[in-house]
Amino acid sequence: MSSWISKRISKIQFALLSPDEIRKMSQVKVITADTYDDDGYPIERGLMDLHMGVIEPGLKCATCGGKVDECPGHFGHIELAMPVVHVGFIKEIKTFLESTCKVCGRIKLTDDEIKSYSATLNDAAFSDLDPDGLASRSKKVTDQCTQRLVCPHCGAQQIKVILDKPTTFREEGIKITPKEIRERLERIPDSDLAFFGLNREVARPEWMILMVLPVPPLNVRPSITLETGERSEDDLTHKLVDIIRISQRLRESRDNGSPQLIIEDLWDLLQFHVTTYFDNQTAGIPPARHRSGRPLKTLVQRMKGKEGRFRSNLSGKRVNFSARTVISPEPFLSVNEVGVPEKAARELTIPVTINQFNLDVMREWVKRGPEPRDEFGKYMSGVNYIIRPDGRRVKVTISNAEENSKRLEIGWVVERQLSEGDIVLFNRQPSLHRMSMMGHSVRILNGQTFRFNLAVCTPYNADFDGDEMNLHVLQKEEARAEARIIMKVQEQIMSPRFGGPIIGGIHDHITSMFLLTHGNPEFPEEDVIHMMSYLEINEPPEFIMRDGKKYFKGRDIFSALLPGDFNLKFRSKLCAGAKEKCEYEDDPADKDVIIINGKMVHGTIDEEAIGPFSGQIIDKIFRKYGPQEAAKFIDNVTRLGVAFISQRGFSTGIGDYDIPENAISDILQVSNEAVEKVGKNIEIYNAGQFQSSPGRSVEETLEIEIMSITGHARDESGKIASAYLGLTNPSVIMARSGARAKMLNISEVAGMVGQQSVRGERLNRGYTQRTLPHFKKGDIGANARGFVKSSYKDGLNPLEYFMHSIGGREGLVDIAVRTSRSGYMQRRLINAFEDLKVDEDRKVTDTVGSIIQFDYGEDGVDPTRSNKGKTVDLDYILFDIDQEEK
Amino acid sequence: MDSLIIKDVKANIEKIKKQIPCSYAVDYDITGDFKEGYITLDKKNMIYKISIDGIEPYHEDKNLTLKKKTGLKSIIKISEIKEIDPLSVAEFRVGKRKLKEVLTFEKAERTSIKITKKQEYSSKIDKSSMELINKIGADGIKIPLESATRLLELKEKKGIKYYNKVLDRVVSEIKKRQVDPYEAVGIIAAQSIGEPGTQMTMRTFHFAGVREVNVTLGLPRLIEIVDARRTPSTPTMTIFLKPEFEKDEEVTSRVVKEIENTSIIDICDIETDVEDMTLTIKPIKERLKERMVVLPDIVDALGREKGITVLPEESKGRVIIKPQQDSYKRLYATQERLKTLTIKGINGIKRAISRKQNDGRWIIYTQGSNLREVLEIDEVDSSRTFTNDIVEIGQVLGIEAARNAILNEAKRTLEEQGLEVDLRHLMLVADMMSFEGSIRAVGRQGISGKKNSVLARAAFEITTKHLLRAGLMGESDSLAGVAENIIVGQPITLGTGAIHLVYKRENTEKQVQ
Repeated sequence: MSSWISKRISKIQFALLSPDEIRKMSQVKVITADTYDDDGYPIERGLMDLHMGVIEPGLKCATCGGKVDECPGHFGHIELAMPVVHVGFIKEIKTFLESTCKVCGRIKLTDDEIKSYSATLNDAAFSDLDPDGLASRSKKVTDQCTQRLVCPHCGAQQIKVILDKPTTFREEGIKITPKEIRERLERIPDSDLAFFGLNREVARPEWMILMVLPVPPLNVRPSITLETGERSEDDLTHKLVDIIRISQRLRESRDNGSPQLIIEDLWDLLQFHVTTYFDNQTAGIPPARHRSGRPLKTLVQRMKGKEGRFRSNLSGKRVNFSARTVISPEPFLSVNEVGVPEKAARELTIPVTINQFNLDVMREWVKRGPEPRDEFGKYMSGVNYIIRPDGRRVKVTISNAEENSKRLEIGWVVERQLSEGDIVLFNRQPSLHRMSMMGHSVRILNGQTFRFNLAVCTPYNADFDGDEMNLHVLQKEEARAEARIIMKVQEQIMSPRFGGPIIGGIHDHITSMFLLTHGNPEFPEEDVIHMMSYLEINEPPEFIMRDGKKYFKGRDIFSALLPGDFNLKFRSKLCAGAKEKCEYEDDPADKDVIIINGKMVHGTIDEEAIGPFSGQIIDKIFRKYGPQEAAKFIDNVTRLGVAFISQRGFSTGIGDYDIPENAISDILQVSNEAVEKVGKNIEIYNAGQFQSSPGRSVEETLEIEIMSITGHARDESGKIASAYLGLTNPSVIMARSGARAKMLNISEVAGMVGQQSVRGERLNRGYTQRTLPHFKKGDIGANARGFVKSSYKDGLNPLEYFMHSIGGREGLVDIAVRTSRSGYMQRRLINAFEDLKVDEDRKVTDTVGSIIQFDYGEDGVDPTRSNKGKTVDLDYILFDIDQEEK
Repeated sequence: MDSLIIKDVKANIEKIKKQIPCSYAVDYDITGDFKEGYITLDKKNMIYKISIDGIEPYHEDKNLTLKKKTGLKSIIKISEIKEIDPLSVAEFRVGKRKLKEVLTFEKAERTSIKITKKQEYSSKIDKSSMELINKIGADGIKIPLESATRLLELKEKKGIKYYNKVLDRVVSEIKKRQVDPYEAVGIIAAQSIGEPGTQMTMRTFHFAGVREVNVTLGLPRLIEIVDARRTPSTPTMTIFLKPEFEKDEEVTSRVVKEIENTSIIDICDIETDVEDMTLTIKPIKERLKERMVVLPDIVDALGREKGITVLPEESKGRVIIKPQQDSYKRLYATQERLKTLTIKGINGIKRAISRKQNDGRWIIYTQGSNLREVLEIDEVDSSRTFTNDIVEIGQVLGIEAARNAILNEAKRTLEEQGLEVDLRHLMLVADMMSFEGSIRAVGRQGISGKKNSVLARAAFEITTKHLLRAGLMGESDSLAGVAENIIVGQPITLGTGAIHLVYKRENTEKQVQ
């Protein structure tokens, strides 16, 4: 087992390749532009020479003898007929030409200046220098040199060098050939290099002019065989073919003494091909194209950008042992579980190394074959592959299962199928925070979808309108251990963002708990037994006897979910603003939820108690009893919620928004008054009498005034409508308990939709001086500017419908713009902060060792474990201790 | 004590430094007696402090350092000169007048802003709470001051036994809540700020309490903060007055008028007379009144401009301007320049509005920002006044203040959107952006672009540039960060990847059987 010692790369050194080095590492000098001969065999010394690796099965590498997946590939090289410039280094070449003497090659600094600078540019410590400081310093030096017109060393007159983009240098209009440039750069002594930020140990300026071109291994540019049997070469190969052809023609022309003009043309052409070989998006050069007209993807394009090598293949990789499918809800699963369809479970495997302890078990598993079931037809995990110590994989089939089972030996590896209880990673994109990828334990279910408890929707931000999610099976013991200890759902209940629970009951769970506890209703025994059958609870709740029958109170049923010595006091969402008495509760004491010794004595359970983000009860259970208990509580709350609401029944419909005639006419009056008031204001404005508020123009003041009138109208109508919609109304229950929607939405349905707006202003765009052709030009009245008088229930008239759509469009655009902008911001944030860590004594440091904070967050407290940011919650500690004392 | 402030020594400063002690002859009369003085080279900051032996009327002397050769009037005997940390000219005043620009010389007194806040704060912490904090601090635990004070109250009220029980519980709670070593706090902070970004509004303009002043909020503002833009898209200031003026409406509106910038174009019409090559500036009466400006103010302001001849015609209520050179180009340029000429107020503050708070105190909100000059107004409480321009705070008050500004601005933006984000995350962002001494943006220009690792930089943005440069400079990547290690396929150096576990087998024989 060689994997016992874990090796680490200590560092990666970057350098420039010298021509000599290119030749040295080359396995073959490529001289022909052809690839394959008529038989389809690689031509020797051609671009597909076997010395550069193999891409076809059956052939062997001429250099290392390896087969397709064994040979890492080897470089070749092309000797260019004439030197050309490397596009990537154009800027550097320019500064070299500008700031060194064209005759003697010395840097154009006087000896004194060199002395004063070299104190800071000590050659010995080059690698220790700060790269940025170096860059800015060399900029200063070279700027100074560029100004000099006479060389301080040999006194030669200097000529200004002009870069004719992209790759031509000129002196007084006369072109400097790459050959000349190279000669000049060669003259620069090593000792002067540090001034340009060049490390003389790894780079020489003349290496920026190419005489030899390395040819990348075949693995880098594999040719593909199309279905028609035609061979299609990689873009890089195409480019290399061009380079070799032109290089050859240039060599011939030069050798047989062709006119200078022809040679120069060919030379430029070679420069073009080499330039586009490196970067096919160089400014000022038309991109080289494929025969089909598609621009070629050359070296720079391969690395750059989101689809480039770095971001697409190196920073993120494709993986095996993963599955993706649609998600759907399953309230009977624990939050820690995920339902996996059988089909997926049969494909996903975990490697098990056979030892003396599991040999017999594994033999049994292999014997079962690839699709075993127990006597009830239920899923059992089998084995898909057996891997022998020599790396040979044997597929287990029904026919060879028996045989393979016997052959199994210690040290072999079997790939067993997923079983119930295995830990897997479950993920939904976009993965915006760490709770987007959590550990779940597997439950194999019938069907085709992944399923999970509804409480986990919040951290994943998932719903079931067709969302898909990914599942990853962990392959190593360490990974599984880490997933179980730190990634499991129950460990992630607390969000590091705000130090509160991010997992909790949603929608119906909240409605249900609200109905169960609000006003503390009574339930007969048979109902309660039915509800209790959903739960995993040992002790039945408290009851009262009446007429020889058992009755259970709602709060007592809820109390059955709480740990025995649990104490808590908080204000429910329903009574959030109440001081003495809550308007929604009969008993004044009910404005607070009070739980003493695991018994809920007062209050109403709603979003504030069990919802995600607020979830007071979940929060405190997690802190006092740990993740296990908290997960159990969430499981039970969601189950009780489903049990109760499905037994009681709960529904909402358009009838919920019925309000009496007089209310409707009141609302109508409010809207008419508003329109009238707006009209009056406009009249005043038209008469030129409107007073502007300080610092605003008249028009702006008018707009603000109208906005406030229409806003007021909507609020009024909402108030009128909700006066008739009490806490018996399902929609109101949902809004007040925090299960779904806000009171505003209800007033929109029952009362009035109100003013539509774009960018915070009344609608004002569309046709010239009017929003729709139905209005007169210059009409700025309420109706013409998007005031919707109708309610959703009554329905909008066509004009209002248009206005509403205009307002709705803004929301859609907003979302589209926002996702991309905030996505980029987060990428930048992550990239800037990814290396920070807390060290042993709670300092925050980066990779270099700079200290960012001496004590993390100034108090060393983990926000995940903090109390909504607070270091300690003294109030709760005192309350808890007081209860214990009693 | 009065000090002499000298401006025009630029050419001679080296000479003076060399000859110390020296006698410096200048071309103006100095009255009064001085023991010390300051020298400014740029009219804004004092860079040298000098000790003066005496001032004499000019007389011939061989050893004099001359300002110029003729017209000399006084001699300043300088006995000592030393370089000091730059002091703003504005810190000096002559009588009641603030010294903003030194013409040639001035006598002035240095006044320093008294920092009262600091004393107040430290006096709030009572000794016993501090002791308790220190006692617990010995275990490496920090308890909040508020909790300490409350604990001590409990000790008084409920007795030592109860107190001890609570204290034990508090200490054990805090101990449980400490961060784990090697926690990837950076990534957590970035996620905690980035994730709510998707829930924020894009709406650029919102009204923050004051309708008249637009402020960028929501996601665009958050991006702006993180980008560390030189100027925010909507700079605003929140100005508090000193406690004694806070409830005084009159003072407030005076300050508002004083800081609101009024330029010619705000209150006057400008007419161009092409024939005579003149500009006629006609003030509009109502606007003059509104902005509390009188014609002489305009003439004064114009008088300070160079290159023009000002011909006031007070009777006609207008001013005629003639450029000193006759050319149409000059005429046009003059007109454009005069349009934005500040008559009064503070540069950059386009609008100032005062608002009464519920408790009767006044706060001034402005559009546009100029912290340096606003802080110099006497009535302004410099300890509370702030701007939303982070870079400006950094320039005026220093990097620590800028760090707090980042923290406060980010917090304000998130809170306004109703998003809960732990302060510690924002703190880390603020610290990371400022710990090098200057404000660095989050992104390729700032933090990410200055990373040590070539691979990490290449993986972020502008891939090829970083790779090519690395080759030239022979950079090496020591694979210390996260991105690099992922690229080469190694475990990262954070969290569980930062440690190695070695399993030591005991009783080898027992295991094997």
